[in-house]
Amino acid sequence: MKKNLTWIGFFIVLAFSLSMFTGCAGKKAVVKEGAVQDQQITSDQAAKDAAAAKDAAAAREAADRLAREQAEKEAADRLAREKAQKEQAAKVEAAATAKATAEEAVKDIYFDFDASSIRADAREVLKANADYLLKNSAASIVVEGHCDERGTAEYNMALGQRRAQEAKKYLVNLGVKGSAIKTISFGKERPIDPGHDEEAWAKNRRDHFVVKTK
Amino acid sequence: MLIAVVIFMFLAVGSEVAAKVYIDVDSPNFQLFPIAVCDFDVTYVHAAAKSKDSGIELADEVKRYLTMAGFFNPLNKKSFLDDKSARSPSDAIIFADWAMIGADYLVKGNIKQSEKETISECRLFDVIKGDLLFNKKYISAGNDLKALAKNIASDILFTLTGDEGDFNTQIAFVAKKVNKADIYMVNYDGSDRKALTNHRSIIVSPRWSPDGRFLAFTSFKDGNPEVYIRDLKNGSERKVASFEGLNLCGYWSPDGQKLLLTLSKDGNEELYILEISNLKLKRLTNSYSIDVSPAWSPDGKKIAFVSNRGGSPQIYSMDTDGNNVKRITYEGNYNTSPSWSPRGGRIAYEGLINHKYQIFTIDEEGNNLLQLTFNAADNESPSWSPSGRQIAYSSKINSKSKICIMNANGLNGRILQENGGSLTMPMWSPRFK
Repeated sequence: MKKNLTWIGFFIVLAFSLSMFTGCAGKKAVVKEGAVQDQQITSDQAAKDAAAAKDAAAAREAADRLAREQAEKEAADRLAREKAQKEQAAKVEAAATAKATAEEAVKDIYFDFDASSIRADAREVLKANADYLLKNSAASIVVEGHCDERGTAEYNMALGQRRAQEAKKYLVNLGVKGSAIKTISFGKERPIDPGHDEEAWAKNRRDHFVVKTK
Repeated sequence: MLIAVVIFMFLAVGSEVAAKVYIDVDSPNFQLFPIAVCDFDVTYVHAAAKSKDSGIELADEVKRYLTMAGFFNPLNKKSFLDDKSARSPSDAIIFADWAMIGADYLVKGNIKQSEKETISECRLFDVIKGDLLFNKKYISAGNDLKALAKNIASDILFTLTGDEGDFNTQIAFVAKKVNKADIYMVNYDGSDRKALTNHRSIIVSPRWSPDGRFLAFTSFKDGNPEVYIRDLKNGSERKVASFEGLNLCGYWSPDGQKLLLTLSKDGNEELYILEISNLKLKRLTNSYSIDVSPAWSPDGKKIAFVSNRGGSPQIYSMDTDGNNVKRITYEGNYNTSPSWSPRGGRIAYEGLINHKYQIFTIDEEGNNLLQLTFNAADNESPSWSPSGRQIAYSSKINSKSKICIMNANGLNGRILQENGGSLTMPMWSPRFK
């Protein structure tokens, strides 16, 4: 009996240690299982007890498998979660970078006094802006038209609208989707330079582009 | 509150109403009326009345309102030779003494104040002819001398010019602090400034309805330039134009049923008439150029507006169906902000000359151009008073902008408001009763 108990004890320990391994490595557990079977065969005296123990072991093994599978699932879930988190972080980072790059890449254009026609220097800028917008498939673009402080608030509202519209037209001609471009005029109400000289005015007669990426 | 009961007492000989000849106060040669206003004789003041000098106070207020009207030069009372016959009949006044100090007109009167009411008798004399022009008795509840003075000044103005003046009006304007603006209004005499909107946004182009009950304007409150109408009686506001792109508010039709708009929804800035009751739109212009700032003529038949169809912004006029477009301004290459005189005939606008914006008027045929401001500021956004005798405008030097008022001939300017932000876009209300 004592021997039987020893055997049972042996199997319990064995099974416990097995369960320890199965958690992280199924293959190793299979090899050990084989070793247990070998021992059972060579031990004639304890064949009966061994058979009983084997049943117990099998039951334990089934429980272990269940535990193993659960652990595997949890591990997979954790991995998936981590992956998703990483992807999310990467997305946010990418969006921030894209926004920063969009702001850097999509540059303002400037106008002459009381004019809404696209200047030669602005054409180059608009071409580069269009290239960037097409490559980066921008989701939406708002063209803001601005004026300098001189002249009527109302007339400047109209002039700013015209400046925004002219840039939109130019971008559409270069292949940017018109439906993605909105225009708004701020007239002379939002100068970028608060000065009262030509240097400030030249900076304030502008189209600014606000780009949202997908 | 003054409930004026005016009793006409035509005492004078030769006061035939039909024979009245008014002085043309709009003429560039017009000289201010030299007028002597005597301190009112105090015949009775109840014990509780604080100011024993109500006679002096009333005279001072009358002088203040007369000065405001822009056509009077109240003489300094220190120069008066005779001021002892306030209660004497007209034949006892030594008109030669008044003529000697340069007065063309003389105001004399008395005041009686009880706790419940104020009674004043006031007489206006033509010093040169020695005629009594009016003798009126004012009975008002309470002791509001300002309101009484306003009525007396209004009657004097009416007697001499045939027009009641603009004493019962207000002026709306935009006040901008840093990047937040709202519409305010202030009385003709500069008192009682108060906010009409609370948008704290970009806000432009306040426009009174002809009855003074509504105010239309353009606000960026919800991000885009959109047109609102505010009911000043109950404070409710509704959006009447919020199309894509630009929605700018123009003038009301004289009947108050329609509102002129500038919209860019059809590709570029065009002018439209909005029927306010059903928000139906009618397009007026069809030109590949900027068309903006439409203003209705007082007879309702024409619309003045700004267009750069000729290469630079100029004032044009057209019929209310969009036909018969005519260019009005040819001088200079930046003429904007047209405003039609309530008396018809003339259009005020701002034009660029010598690198500054100045106020001009021109008749509706494009003749008789008159420059009204000449100073070193940028003078913009002219708006006529209901009498058509004065013009409010904004005057800007660098970022500091104030609201000023001058006569329609450019003379006799005064500052209406100058603090509490950058003040622009004055719009004169109709007369309130």
